[in-house]
Amino acid sequence: MQNASLDFKRQVTVKLADEKLQQALSRLQSRFVEGRSAVISEIHDLQETRDAATRIRDRVLNNLGHWLLHFEEQATKRGAVVHWAETAEDANRIVVEIAKQHDVKTAAKSKSMVSEECGLNDALENAGVKVVETDLGEYILQQAHEAPSHIVAPVVHKNKEEISDLFANVHGLPRKTGIAELCREAREVLRPAFLNADMGISGANFLIAETGSALIVTNEGNGRLVTTLPRVHVAITGIEKVVPTLEDASTLLRLLPRSATGQSITNYVSMLTGKKKETDPEGPDHFHIVLLDNGRSSLLGTPMQEMLRCIRCGACMNHCPVYQNIGGHAYGWVYPGPMGSILTPLLDGIEKAPDLPNASTLCGACAVVCPVKIPLPDLLRKLREKQLALGLRPRQETALLGIWSWLALHPRAYALATRIAVRAMKVVGGKEGLLHRLPGASGWTDGRDFPAPEGKTFREMYRERS
Amino acid sequence: MRVGLFVTCLVDSMRPRIGFAALRLLEAAGCEVFVPETQTCCGQPGYNSGDSKTAKNLALKFIAEFEGYDYVVVPSGSCAGMIRVHYPGLFEDEPDLHERFLKVAERTFELTDFLHRIVRLEKITGTFRGSLTYHDSCSGLRELDVYKQPRALLARMPDVALEEMVESTTCCGFGGTFSVKYGELSARMADNKCRHIADTHAGTIAGGDLGCLLNIEGRLRRNGDHDTRVLHIAEILAGGED
Amino acid sequence: MNAREKILARISEAKPDKAALSHHLENHPRGPQPMDFDDLKKRFAERALKLSSDLVEADQLNLAPGLIANYLQQRTLPMKGVCWPALNHLPWLDSGLDIEARPAWNEDMVGITGTFCAIAETGTLLLLGGEKTPASVSLLPETHVAIVDPKRIVATMEDAWDLLRRECREPPRTVNFISGPSRTADIEQTVTLGAHGPYRVLLVLAP
Repeated sequence: MQNASLDFKRQVTVKLADEKLQQALSRLQSRFVEGRSAVISEIHDLQETRDAATRIRDRVLNNLGHWLLHFEEQATKRGAVVHWAETAEDANRIVVEIAKQHDVKTAAKSKSMVSEECGLNDALENAGVKVVETDLGEYILQQAHEAPSHIVAPVVHKNKEEISDLFANVHGLPRKTGIAELCREAREVLRPAFLNADMGISGANFLIAETGSALIVTNEGNGRLVTTLPRVHVAITGIEKVVPTLEDASTLLRLLPRSATGQSITNYVSMLTGKKKETDPEGPDHFHIVLLDNGRSSLLGTPMQEMLRCIRCGACMNHCPVYQNIGGHAYGWVYPGPMGSILTPLLDGIEKAPDLPNASTLCGACAVVCPVKIPLPDLLRKLREKQLALGLRPRQETALLGIWSWLALHPRAYALATRIAVRAMKVVGGKEGLLHRLPGASGWTDGRDFPAPEGKTFREMYRERS
Repeated sequence: MRVGLFVTCLVDSMRPRIGFAALRLLEAAGCEVFVPETQTCCGQPGYNSGDSKTAKNLALKFIAEFEGYDYVVVPSGSCAGMIRVHYPGLFEDEPDLHERFLKVAERTFELTDFLHRIVRLEKITGTFRGSLTYHDSCSGLRELDVYKQPRALLARMPDVALEEMVESTTCCGFGGTFSVKYGELSARMADNKCRHIADTHAGTIAGGDLGCLLNIEGRLRRNGDHDTRVLHIAEILAGGED
Repeated sequence: MNAREKILARISEAKPDKAALSHHLENHPRGPQPMDFDDLKKRFAERALKLSSDLVEADQLNLAPGLIANYLQQRTLPMKGVCWPALNHLPWLDSGLDIEARPAWNEDMVGITGTFCAIAETGTLLLLGGEKTPASVSLLPETHVAIVDPKRIVATMEDAWDLLRRECREPPRTVNFISGPSRTADIEQTVTLGAHGPYRVLLVLAP
């Protein structure tokens, strides 16, 4: 997917002014934040469970090569073909080749953020394969030619009326207004896509090393359909998604849907192992698993490794006051919110997303809800360090930082500077005690007054007193 | 007990009265309070801007100034969090210093945390009357677990009615340099906070971090609200808020 | 070097303690478990209803078709459909049901399955796909009926995996946890039952 993160600041202005989006976002907050809070307490030892989940992910990441090879061995033994892709382009090329090899004309796809990361649909379409997104949200976006704005609820930015108009326009059927009617219409329009598809494409929430299985967590049933009906199944996912055992997956499954959508469990958890056996009346004749690296392996053994624990629940964005106010599109790439602000620079290039690590108050709401305890604010901060070290910050900012740091380390000069500043600001603040404009800090005063200081510093008053 | 007061750069320059309120509260609790004169800033603006070198230098300056006291008290959750949670991490590769920072961290407290849990201040001398609502600043809340402490202290003031706002624990949008770099976003977050404050009909918004309070006050005033009072918890507890 | 070798070479990992790692695989230790449930059947039923499944109880398996027929009739649903070949022996016709034993097709409106086991923790069914238990029966029709043997209700997911390891040498191609009718909340985060899978799930507890 094309990265538009450089446009972040301009997009913030646009998104803040978009009233429909603002309404949609308030819904997300009430449904997902309150939903999580209602069911997460079902886990009576939540902190222990989060710790256990964290250990599971760390165990994998500390020996990722070992577990990937074990996964590959088990999957291959049961008839799957495992492919390794270094980059998004490689992954696309591999899937296109699979399609050609099996003479695939149409593909039905369930939701996969990794496929969004790769821009897989375009690659397949360019190769003459018709791709149909079947997750309701992704289907809506495909018809509207838009990108997802949330990793779990991709179409959260659109309201019912927009979807009604879109369906009436695309389907040529009488305009429906009820949500249930819209869902039924999509079901009926999409059924033939499942039945006719030569290839089903899914992601994988987890890869189970023990059995060589791909495990997918879904609600709509489309994930089951695309992995059961077509004669070829391709599962595409990141190399970090492997977990050792079914028990390890179970611990993560207690946290994933609760953190994501506020469900104790999703409707379906499907574990797909190998290709159809001779006695099986249905299932794919071919099962391909594509393991995507795309920058992930280079994070191992670095301070950013913890980001690879991520199980893509979206809780960090649901609870992020920045995401809550601007939605996902402003972030410019596949992954929005706190996890996206870290993954985008790491996977797609730090110079392509200078704003993302900085556009956070480091309030920590994300870290508190993260089921695998990723220290998201710390990682954002580490990216800021890296930006500064690489000279990617604006010159004015680094100059100010330099002045501040010199003053803070020189108490007498600091005392003098602050005394002068607070006196001057007090004068400008006038009787009202407010500064309406501050040179160099229009970012503050465009939307707020700046309360004037008292006029003397604490330390000078303290010294006068004693 | 000998307590070093780390007054914070914002209180020092913007609101000395908060510093004096903290001082009175600590003295009322029987502490012998010291204010090292060379103190400046905990280093958070640099730390959060990716300049950990300056942050380290300021941490070293801090430890030289404050290591000798029994306790260090800070009228700000975010500066106390910097010292307690982040300083030791800056010296992970230097075991001796790391150890010393861990020890100072253990003895460093946010003001209300210190008053409630360590010295168990029972008699509150503040003269504030009326209703107020409380904003929980992020670092104090999530790094230091400061939530009950200010409420427990306020509960000892019979004339104070606490009207909780919705989302009192949601960030106000300050975020240090974030408030200038992403002013529009920051102002929107402050706006949400102002709305929740107004919904409580409390006449006063109180909090434990001056940065957040300046942000909230700035937005209230720009929105034309010149009535809602914005006070630091120390001013309320210690009195002299008028 | 091919992509596989290049990726593996880039992975910086501690030298694996192979013994510890295979010990983990062989013992597959459990994470923190939910508190014990006093009554598995009661817990399962409560949770299943919460997931919007319907539930009836039969004294014996042979009575299940009658209960299923009642359920379909009350809701004016078609009295015909498909069942797992594994359930072909039940007296469907006697209850006025026209049931074929085969994988489901698009036109089938009712699909009747058994369950490998059920999980009390979340009110979930575990179904294994196979020769006599095709996965499509629980997926394509708008109504899914699942017969659950109360003796095969286990407490947790981990108990279900143990049962699977004990009774199946190899995991089948599809292992599905099913927790109520399919649903979507993609439009305005409003939960709507019946997305691409069944609109309703009837659980028949029958020994």
